[in-house]
Amino acid sequence: MRKRNVPVSVWFGGSITLFFLLCSIFSLFWTPFDPNFVDTTKTSLGFGEAGHVLGTDIIGRDLLSGLLAGAKMSVFLGCVTATISVILGTIFAFIAVGISPWVDEVVMRFLDILMAVPGVIVALVIATVSGPSALSTVSVLSVFFAPVIARVVRSATIPLLNEDFVQSARMYGRGKAFVLFRHVLPNILSVLVVQFSLYSANAVLAESGLSYLGVGISRPQISWGTLLKEAQETVGPTTGLMLWPATVILVFVLGLNLLGDGLRDVMDPRSAGRKS
Amino acid sequence: MIVFLVRRLGFFAVSVLATSGLIFVLVRMIGGSPASVLLGEFSTPEDVYALEEQLGLHRPMIVQYLSWLGQLLRGDFGISFYSGIQLSTLLKSALPVSISLSIGALTVGLTIGIPFGIISALRSFQGKGSLIDFVSQVGIAIPIFWSGALLSLFFGVSLGWFPTGGWVPWSDAPVTTFRHLVLPSVTLGIGIGSVLARFIRTAIVEVMRQDYIRTGRAFGMSVQKSLFVVGLRNAALPVVTVLGNIVSHLVGGTVLTETLFSMPGLSRMILGAVVGRDIFVVQNLVMILILYVLIVNLLVDISYYLLDKRLRI
Repeated sequence: MRKRNVPVSVWFGGSITLFFLLCSIFSLFWTPFDPNFVDTTKTSLGFGEAGHVLGTDIIGRDLLSGLLAGAKMSVFLGCVTATISVILGTIFAFIAVGISPWVDEVVMRFLDILMAVPGVIVALVIATVSGPSALSTVSVLSVFFAPVIARVVRSATIPLLNEDFVQSARMYGRGKAFVLFRHVLPNILSVLVVQFSLYSANAVLAESGLSYLGVGISRPQISWGTLLKEAQETVGPTTGLMLWPATVILVFVLGLNLLGDGLRDVMDPRSAGRKS
Repeated sequence: MIVFLVRRLGFFAVSVLATSGLIFVLVRMIGGSPASVLLGEFSTPEDVYALEEQLGLHRPMIVQYLSWLGQLLRGDFGISFYSGIQLSTLLKSALPVSISLSIGALTVGLTIGIPFGIISALRSFQGKGSLIDFVSQVGIAIPIFWSGALLSLFFGVSLGWFPTGGWVPWSDAPVTTFRHLVLPSVTLGIGIGSVLARFIRTAIVEVMRQDYIRTGRAFGMSVQKSLFVVGLRNAALPVVTVLGNIVSHLVGGTVLTETLFSMPGLSRMILGAVVGRDIFVVQNLVMILILYVLIVNLLVDISYYLLDKRLRI
């Protein structure tokens, strides 16, 4: 196998992502305090006071524990949303290229329409009628991420359809669906991995925005967006209570984006420097 | 040209039908009867039935849908269930805020995005990475509420240059309005500029690989000249197409920015309606936003057609 230079961004982004993954797994077993535990004797503590490493909020809940619990939720939502979006996108793309040019046209135009709908706004609508929940957040975001992924998958699939190995499988009598899943899918796996990492980042960012607006996750479940919303409501945007969750989101999203872009450059050297 | 316009307008009509259908079905299907949503948890079935009758919810679905569509087309956006005020009156005060913010953010985005994109492409053409690439990555990853909070803290609170929130209508004091607009526009513009810079860089790098550039260079054209005289004009085309996408993102970003800077725009209206569960107001406002994005996409496609002479053959 050809030796490839792994760019710095992959190492850098990868370590950040790994760090947050470990944190979220770690928080399943242990957080310094119960993130929902209200301790009225220790309200609004600062940095490192009384055993609270990052301090506490206005009713004495530990911030570090909140961040760890938030990591669990944000990482989980990011992964689930990205997984569903990638699966949906792939299915859309395979339906488009697999059946007939006519279906292709209809599916792609449908996805164009879907892309014109601002997902955040629709998430707001769904929250109005069904009440805010993790489930509604995940489903809305997936539906609106899928069209973009479908386009990428489709354009990666089409050149493969003319490759010899695909043609010979077809001539051997394999059905279109079988060929797509058995022969094409493994070859676009790298594309899917890149999309997964980029859209996990998008999902984390979008989820924090929704929770910040009050239509995402709310207590007793905690995401980073929930912490932001509480900080904004109680002490305003310019304190550690707000800056810590925001910084954590920034670093995690940056890490995932760097990882995704770097992986794309590694896996498809032709597109190095080509960002979309 | 005519064929193109007819096809594109046809697609626009289909898009309007599809998205309005989607919104209509979403609002009807998910929360049960809109009447019980409006009346809240403690309503009696009789009240719900009476309100359903009043709102015409017992008519067939398709009739309800068509009459809603008809109202929208006539510009009749209905009445807010709670305040009883015509939605169009509310829109008249909210729209200028949102539109000003969008234009401001786009201006900031273009001012950041174009030069940075060009510089970054030039650097990559010389085989070097650049700090700008990293900065634009950070710009994309920054949550709006974070950059917004920092900007208000620094320019609003510490330096006191700009107000950190609120709004004054243009007609009252244009200068004050402008000052109110600066921080939100920059906040939203940073993200847009970062995305744009990366698109522009891609477009330029792609164009600079084309044969006509290589030919030009072989004839002794300098890198700079080939970029600024030939390259940019051709790189502009793919960038025009992403403007449509950016506007769609802009709508989502406006919600957060308006909330952060407490601006009385469309988003505040939507959020208010969401919190108050004023379901038909939400439905109409969302449809207005979608129409806005669809119209921008339509205009982008038409201008693309006018710009790219190859499409006219």
